[in-house]
Amino acid sequence: MTARNREWPVALALAPVMLVLLAPFAWLIMSSLKTEAEIAQAAPFSWPANLMWRNYADAWQIGGFGDLVGNSLLNLAGVVALTLITCVPAGYALAKIRFPGREWLFYAFILGLTIPIQAIVIPLYEVLSGLRLVNTLTGIVLAQVSNGIPFGIFLMRSFFISVPDELVEAAKIDGATHFQILTKVFLPISSPAIQALVIISALSTWNDFFLPLIVLISPDVQTLPLGLVRFAGTYSSEYRLVFSGTVISFLPIILLYILTQRRFTEGLTQGAIKG
Amino acid sequence: MQTIAGPTGPLARAAKVKTRMGGSTGETGSALWLMVPALAIYAVFTLFPVAVTFWLSFTNSAGFNTPAEFTGLDNYARAVHDPIVWQALGHTFLWLLYHLVLAGGLGLALALAIGSLGKTRTFFRTAFFLPHLVSLAVVGVIWANIYDPFFGLINTGLIGLGLGNWTQGWLSDPSLVLFSVNVASSWQGFGIYMLLFIAGLQNIDSSLYDAASVDGATPFQKLVHVTLPGLREVMTFVVSLALINGLKGFATVFVMTNGGPFYRSELITTYIYRLAFQSQDHGLAAVLCIVLSLLAITITVVFTRWRARLAQ
Repeated sequence: MTARNREWPVALALAPVMLVLLAPFAWLIMSSLKTEAEIAQAAPFSWPANLMWRNYADAWQIGGFGDLVGNSLLNLAGVVALTLITCVPAGYALAKIRFPGREWLFYAFILGLTIPIQAIVIPLYEVLSGLRLVNTLTGIVLAQVSNGIPFGIFLMRSFFISVPDELVEAAKIDGATHFQILTKVFLPISSPAIQALVIISALSTWNDFFLPLIVLISPDVQTLPLGLVRFAGTYSSEYRLVFSGTVISFLPIILLYILTQRRFTEGLTQGAIKG
Repeated sequence: MQTIAGPTGPLARAAKVKTRMGGSTGETGSALWLMVPALAIYAVFTLFPVAVTFWLSFTNSAGFNTPAEFTGLDNYARAVHDPIVWQALGHTFLWLLYHLVLAGGLGLALALAIGSLGKTRTFFRTAFFLPHLVSLAVVGVIWANIYDPFFGLINTGLIGLGLGNWTQGWLSDPSLVLFSVNVASSWQGFGIYMLLFIAGLQNIDSSLYDAASVDGATPFQKLVHVTLPGLREVMTFVVSLALINGLKGFATVFVMTNGGPFYRSELITTYIYRLAFQSQDHGLAAVLCIVLSLLAITITVVFTRWRARLAQ
């Protein structure tokens, strides 16, 4: 796009900006390896005398992070699976089948795409408690899937629309049903869209706070962000525990991102634009 | 990426759906079967709650699953006379503005810089995106500590730099608190706007830059006459996304200040939570839910129309 001789001046200018914006991570990781006494010295970038890996073991055990991570993983797996099961066929139907009422469904999903989750929380809680789903994994999965359905459907729909109608017509002449066309013709070529949907629903589920706050009340069912907030509130005066617990909460997703950054970036950008 | 050039929002597409409706009964049947899993969940956990929220705003409901009577516009009148409603509304608008300038502005500036890079492009893009991966609730915990008056990164850093008189009670000063919390949210938010702007930059026809060079344009002239006009559509998209994200802001405020001190960081969302789950004033909460929804719908409609007009 522009001359390459600007590469190094720009990179040199960006480096300090990067240091400032990523300083919170560096500070947290360093502080998480200090003793309480060292933290109390209030010297933000002093090196700890001994690396206190014990802080991590303590936080992990006291905060029950093993359970939190397990709950978060189950939550994520449930949401991703159910999102695919619901959004892929619905996106196909909206893109490739003409049926009465399609327009109304379309507007109904736009409504859900627009309205913030906080705006429906009272009846949502009543529905969940009426179905005895408060404090359960099933409850949080259903609420999160429903919240993500409009986005997922529009994402899949806009991908399926770009597939030529001739593929559908040809398969129909061969006697295929819509279900067969979806599974045999469309699914094999849908991996970019499905990847985007998986990445976006996984990330938003892993990081969700509002719905778990409403639905998951007892500590043994809570997910990572909610558990960390509770932990940080309970042990607010033990900085070493709060710091190491916080690092435990963000490190896995950051490592995962660095390992898969190309797919991750593509999925997020494509998804945000098309959804 | 080609879709970015067209009117992409679902609302814009809705206009086109009106084409040939109908179809054979077999088609309708199979469409129905394919829609059922999504529709069943969505109807129970989203559409039904939307309708009930609307109804609740006209009742004196004061608790979960308790009977409520129709009271007309009483809640709306109460909302108008509740000073905290107006404060929360004002804070929410200010919050949107901060987020737009801080996160949107930073995202654009970084994208413009990163867009001109070659070899180090992926490195910087990946590095600057890292904050966006952190849950807003975790961001709240992180920044509550960064702002800690005694051990936090900012105040200890300022003292370390010899700027001790610049230290503040970032979260306890009523006139600073909303901005301070928004910085935390915007730190988490700018990464996705940056990615979208970078994608938009890649869509600009490179021959335009060549033509500008032939005409002897300076880098600044290229920015103003080629780059920024080329980003216009992404810009409207990012602005609408930032406004909607801002409206949904909740977790950082809830974790860092819980709306305080003296409601000075209360947003519509946090006030809804307080009314719904603490004081159980569901009638008033429902009015705020309607207000929040109308704001979101207005933003979406306005920006979708604007984008559709740009695309023509």
